[in-house]
Amino acid sequence: MDSILECRNLTKYFPGCLALNSVNLAIPKGQIVGLLGPNGSGKSTLIKLINGLLTPSGGEIDINGMKPGVETKKIISYLPERTYLNNWMTVQNMIDFFGDFYADFNKAKAYDMLQRLHINPNDRLKTMSKGTKEKVQLILVMSREAELYVLDEPIGGVDPAARDYILDTIISNYSENASLILSTHLITDVEKILDGVIFINAGNIVLTSSVDEIREKENKSVDALFREVFKC
Amino acid sequence: MPWNLKSDRPIYSQLIEQIQQMVVSGIYPAGAKLPSVRDMAAEASVNPNTMQRALSQLETEGLLYSQRTSGRFVTEDAEKIMQTKNELAVSLIHEFITKMNQLGYDRQQTVSLLGSVMKEEEQNG
Amino acid sequence: MLGKLIKYEWKATQRIFLPLYGLIVLFTLINKAFFVFNFDKTSGMALVPFVITMIIYCVLIAATGIVTLVVSIQRFYKNLLGDEGYLSFTLPVKPHSHIDSKMIVTLIWTLLSIAVAALSIFILAVNSDTVRDFSEFCAAVGRFFSQYGFQAYGLLIELIVLMLVSVLSGTLEIYAAVTVGNLSGKHKLLAGFGAYIGFGVVEQIVFSALFNAGKGFDFTGGYGQLSFDKLPFAAFAAGFGVLILYSLVFGAAFYFFTNWMLSKKLNLE
Repeated sequence: MDSILECRNLTKYFPGCLALNSVNLAIPKGQIVGLLGPNGSGKSTLIKLINGLLTPSGGEIDINGMKPGVETKKIISYLPERTYLNNWMTVQNMIDFFGDFYADFNKAKAYDMLQRLHINPNDRLKTMSKGTKEKVQLILVMSREAELYVLDEPIGGVDPAARDYILDTIISNYSENASLILSTHLITDVEKILDGVIFINAGNIVLTSSVDEIREKENKSVDALFREVFKC
Repeated sequence: MPWNLKSDRPIYSQLIEQIQQMVVSGIYPAGAKLPSVRDMAAEASVNPNTMQRALSQLETEGLLYSQRTSGRFVTEDAEKIMQTKNELAVSLIHEFITKMNQLGYDRQQTVSLLGSVMKEEEQNG
Repeated sequence: MLGKLIKYEWKATQRIFLPLYGLIVLFTLINKAFFVFNFDKTSGMALVPFVITMIIYCVLIAATGIVTLVVSIQRFYKNLLGDEGYLSFTLPVKPHSHIDSKMIVTLIWTLLSIAVAALSIFILAVNSDTVRDFSEFCAAVGRFFSQYGFQAYGLLIELIVLMLVSVLSGTLEIYAAVTVGNLSGKHKLLAGFGAYIGFGVVEQIVFSALFNAGKGFDFTGGYGQLSFDKLPFAAFAAGFGVLILYSLVFGAAFYFFTNWMLSKKLNLE
């Protein structure tokens, strides 16, 4: 099985809205892929389907050959756009929590990253700023040795220095057995670390290409192409 | 040492140039061992696959070679390095000539302007 | 995995209940001290502190029930249907494990709350006068069990099972109502409340039907009247049995409904 993710005619509709229209997609192992599209394009629907937070209306979705369920959740590490941390735990508690539920969680890595970002493990989540909580969440997700990482807007609310740190963490975390899907609006910052991009709009895949192919063929950055394709 | 990557050209070809420059300028001298793909990618803030592609290309061209267990090295072949240096220089010069032409200078004017600017730099130390 | 979920559910809730129980213990002791030193027999200004502590105590006792209910609802809603749901439902566990862990922990707190409240009231109530009544009561209970042996114990076990099943079934009913309420965009609380009442209505209908069906049933077991020496255990057992079955059926229905909603119809936002 060379694809970590495969979608075959994947369809999802909600009352009054076709969110994903018979999407076909395959993401190989060992790739960092950007999922790019405007709001309402079906990005978050696709991400939720990958994570088993939604069930398909039609078609199929496989992660490493398995249907979304307990086994796929063991190998997927997901960073949602919102903060999913409670507020009564300390960072330390949260690390123990992740260690408890995920066999692939690497505590040493987590502590190391916390230290680099100057976050005290004994702090209560309640007392932290939104930005710090986002960093904690990212650290928890990247400390897992998963086979598929799904990051929804990982650098949106973070300052440029932390942004660089996050992108460098993604690069250094890279393994040819794992893949990473990144959904973001900040394409310029992120282009260089991507193998390929998927443009999605109104529930349809508009473009699938490697970053270098786009630059070679179109003589422009992915960001520039995106603006062109999705001009309002 | 910052990697200067432009956004409208393929990354891997820019990486090839930058590594060539680093070899030619002695940052990675002949016979030197290169850092791992992962480390180089992290330094350049690029995708490891892209870095791997650039390094493989340079291996094919003979500027680098890899030994299965020990890693990647710059060639010991001083001539090869000289050749690369030459190619980079020629490429720069072509670019320069094209740009001068775009400004409206012909061959003779370009050569003479080049000469006088170089003399000026020499005098100013 | 279920054990781990229970562990964290416990951790999340104990920080509310343990202090509450602590306060109850405190005020039980304070009020007991007042009783022991006969403050309840004074009058005028001297009475005021005692009145205050008694009021606080009563509020605390009432609060345990309310807190148990509120915490149960809030844990379910916040941890599964709010933002925390993004974490909960990406843990490598089946959705029903979430329901299981929460209902088990709710059951434990319910039983503990009842125990703490009962014990506390007992401590306050027991004194040289009441002790006699209480030991007479204990003796009567003892006679009952020694006289009827395993039939009595059987009935006791049924009663315990009925209590446990009722609490679980009631909790599941609340979870189902919260799940329905969550479907509404802006009026989740109202919709949830409405769903709960709706469920209640359905239960009432079923219960009345059962009751009418059982009207002809002779609960005196042919004896004509109830007396201590001729208790119709079979009838009692059957009666409890029906109640247990009733709770089981509704509980199961709520369980499967909630599980189906969380598995197939989950839509976090």
